[in-house]
Amino acid sequence: MTTNESTTLFTLTVIFFFIMDPVGNIASYLSLVQGLDKKRRYLVLLREMLIALVTTLLFCFLGEFIFKFLEISEVTVRVSIGVILFLVAVKILFPNKDSPRANLPKGEPFIVPLAIPLVAGPSLLATVMLYADLEPSLWLVPEAIFIAWLASFAVFLAAPFLQRYLGNNGLLALEKLTGIILALIAVQKFAEGLHRFFTANS
Amino acid sequence: MSVFTIALTLFIIANPIGVTPVIVSLIKDFDFKRQRFIAFREAMLALFLALFFQYFGEVFLNALQIKPFAVTITGGLLLFAVALSMIFSFHESTEEAKQVKQEPFFVPIATPIISGPGLLATIMILSQRENNNFKLTMAILLAWIPVTAVMTFAPYLQKIFGKRGLAGMEQLMGMILALLSMELVVKGTAMLYHAIYT
Repeated sequence: MTTNESTTLFTLTVIFFFIMDPVGNIASYLSLVQGLDKKRRYLVLLREMLIALVTTLLFCFLGEFIFKFLEISEVTVRVSIGVILFLVAVKILFPNKDSPRANLPKGEPFIVPLAIPLVAGPSLLATVMLYADLEPSLWLVPEAIFIAWLASFAVFLAAPFLQRYLGNNGLLALEKLTGIILALIAVQKFAEGLHRFFTANS
Repeated sequence: MSVFTIALTLFIIANPIGVTPVIVSLIKDFDFKRQRFIAFREAMLALFLALFFQYFGEVFLNALQIKPFAVTITGGLLLFAVALSMIFSFHESTEEAKQVKQEPFFVPIATPIISGPGLLATIMILSQRENNNFKLTMAILLAWIPVTAVMTFAPYLQKIFGKRGLAGMEQLMGMILALLSMELVVKGTAMLYHAIYT
């Protein structure tokens, strides 16, 4: 693997991990599985995470051909990635009361809301599709998704400890940091899209 | 540069005196003790971020393939979002007057207001130029003494202006913040332009 490809893999993994935003979802996850006993908790988590992974991979393979089929240019795809990432970042940085996180349904989670939309939300699916279209290598994006997914899984498994040792404020600070990094990546990707546009048209 | 010149430079770039009115407007809905605590906490978080960027800033930005112009533009855009919420905040006071606002935490006061893109970029450039990392750390800590002092002084301003005065001031400060943020966006765009055409 060339250096360029490994940095791309790293960046992609970071992007997917941050959009899954496991740190920000810790509080929601813990309150969702509150009433369940320990064994059931892990089972539910495993089930939900697998559903999220399968959904994400599905959209990844869908992305491989749908944009080519719709004849959407590369510049559009690049600029869209920037816009979507920025919107995710804004949602993390300036939370509002309408988010799915603020209106959690009662009872054991099944697909909704933990798998979709908290982990595999519309923004993650859209980003995955766009990157699947953009990256020439077929396996780079699924690989990045899998690593990010493993990392989020680990964060969820460690959720009770993380909450105890970092406290709610620590988690909040980590989440805001996530948002800032996402915003930085978003602007960078948007600018790269613009760069492409200008070099292609001049 | 000596430790003191670096510290002075950092203090001027962090510009706590200039942004104190903005900070006051952002935290005006909390009681006095809480305000002092928030100001102090944000100062410490900003310090932490500054020190983080001294040691890991370059590695961090390189690893994620982020260029300096992106840092500047992002800082501007985030500040602009804050400015907008300040300018249009009067709707809230009529409907949900007593509703407790969410406390500002890390964003927007610690970053991008205090440890903004300008400060972080300066720190990164200085850490490249100065071989003595310890000296720069000392300078940052030294600069943070007045920064923290000015920020924790901010809640006292409320006693001078009063609640109503601050409510009026909030929108004015929002306007000023909007200008400052657009300045950052323009600067970052200029950097991007140069990156494309040179």
